[in-house]
Amino acid sequence: MMGEVTPAVTVDGVDMVFNAGSENEVVALREIDVTVQRGEFVSLIGPSGCGKSTMLRVIGDLLQPTAGSVEVFGQAASSARQNRSYGMAFQSAGLFDWRKVAANIELPLEIGGWSKPDREARSREMLKLVRLEDFADHYPWQLSGGMQQRVAIARALSFQPDLLLMDEPFGALDEMTREYMQSELLRIYSELGTTVIFVTHSIPEAVYLSNRVVVLSPRPGRIHAVVDIDLGPPVESTDSAKADEIRERESFFEMTTQVRAALRSVEAGTPGRAGSPGVADG
Amino acid sequence: MRRALSVLGGIGTLIVLWEGYKAVGGLTGDQWPATPWGLPVPTDDLTMPHVIDIMRTLGRPVQRGRDEILAVFLFKAALSTFWKAALGFALGTVIGWSLAVLMLRSRLVERGLLPWINISQTVPLIALAPIVVTWGRTTFLSDSLSVALIATYLTFFPVAVNALRGLQSPRPADLELLRSYAATEREILMKLRLPASRPYLFPALKLAATLSVVGAIVGEISAGVRGGLGRAILEFASRYSTAPARLYAGVVGAALLGLAVFGLVSLVERSAGRGAGRSLAGEGT
Ligand SMILES: Nc1ncnc2c1ncn2[C@@H]1O[C@H](COP(=O)(O)OP(=O)(O)O)[C@@H](O)[C@H]1O
Ligand SMILES: [Mg+2]
Repeated sequence: MMGEVTPAVTVDGVDMVFNAGSENEVVALREIDVTVQRGEFVSLIGPSGCGKSTMLRVIGDLLQPTAGSVEVFGQAASSARQNRSYGMAFQSAGLFDWRKVAANIELPLEIGGWSKPDREARSREMLKLVRLEDFADHYPWQLSGGMQQRVAIARALSFQPDLLLMDEPFGALDEMTREYMQSELLRIYSELGTTVIFVTHSIPEAVYLSNRVVVLSPRPGRIHAVVDIDLGPPVESTDSAKADEIRERESFFEMTTQVRAALRSVEAGTPGRAGSPGVADG
Repeated sequence: MRRALSVLGGIGTLIVLWEGYKAVGGLTGDQWPATPWGLPVPTDDLTMPHVIDIMRTLGRPVQRGRDEILAVFLFKAALSTFWKAALGFALGTVIGWSLAVLMLRSRLVERGLLPWINISQTVPLIALAPIVVTWGRTTFLSDSLSVALIATYLTFFPVAVNALRGLQSPRPADLELLRSYAATEREILMKLRLPASRPYLFPALKLAATLSVVGAIVGEISAGVRGGLGRAILEFASRYSTAPARLYAGVVGAALLGLAVFGLVSLVERSAGRGAGRSLAGEGT
């Protein structure tokens, strides 16, 4: 595997300083090195304000890092954005009220210059993927929070971006909906095989979804520990209820305990578990 | 339908208040009942003609020897004023939007322009109107066009200010979303900022529509343009002491014209908003 395939994301020595030089200067990220392999699902976890969203924005070329570089599929982040490599989803679904559900999903396709028939075919396909076929002609405010979030995911995936960046997408949902959405996301992820970087507050969520969990420490935001997640053999079923079996496994508890320990040591200010925090190859 | 009823109800209430006040004043000799304090406005028929007299004047000829009754005369005058106001409204809306888009483009332009737009509205219309008309006469502009320009002057302001607010209303996350699709500035404007400004747009347009009528009437008066409500009101005012009801009829005509343009914009709003979103269906999530 070494060196042959270009990784999905290479973050190299990234610093992000807001309001540099002024008295409200914030060092949001310091010396961040991360490599995410193709097809990997990586979660970023850490206390609030430790720079998770900032890191996602830097990777998505919505912020220019103060130092260091970001490469996405072998190109600079800015070219990756121009080539529409990113699908994004945030905590608030961020659907446009004046567009029906189908039109919301077609938004990135319109900007990408797709023809109308192609757009319509794709939005139907995506609605099926997120199991909302019957809601194409609804307005977003007629949908529940979980349904809105599924539309947002459909929108983020509609143009088959190579990299999905998600910032606490299920943060505003109740626990039941949240677990359901996690299973759905995992199902979609394994169907499409995209690479995902996922910001979350929730330890079980990170463990359930990820191949790897990156634990950040605050002020300045650094990589504190990296926990590889191994939950045993995957559940060979597209039925999300069956996929929930994973949550009951012994390995699931072991992994959450490990991540929790890493987060505790962040709060306690002791060094993380991973030997060299920066090096995080898959 | 409910709208129309509530408008009629409002007019009915006004008539009842007017006549009621008049009746009270008539009984007490223009004093608050059972007090020594005088009423703020005397209630004699010169100051406050009866509603029925105002309506009767509407049915009488405008001038001795002419067939045209006042109602028809006022309707034609209102129509003439309407076209100037409409032109002013259209121009004002276009200019207002253009300014808003320009200000949106750069903070610097916004900083430079916004104070001037605000200051522009402190110049009294009565001072400005003759200047515009005089300028107009030295160039190719007809007086009617000058009047429309005066209406423009009043209308562009609410449109510019509210359009700017509307265009700036999208949340940062929405803007980032479009940027993540590598959308151009133009696409961001068309697909996000413009639709997002809709809730700000129509209140501004309604305000602008009524202001355009005010602007056109004041413009007509300053320019001495014939045929419009402004001129009619000016003439009726000069003969107020002999025929007060006619001036009131003119004022009612102007008010109805304002109401009509307001209603027109509301109609457009309805048809533009049919099925589209929150502003009609109430707040969602
Ligand atoms: N645009 C900005 N300007 C100034 N400071 C910012 C900005 N964005 C984030 N920050 C600061 O950077 C730090 C990290 O923020 P953020 O990445 O949002 O944290 P998280 O997502 O982990 O909660 C915080 O201290 C925050 O106040
Ligand atoms: Mg955040």
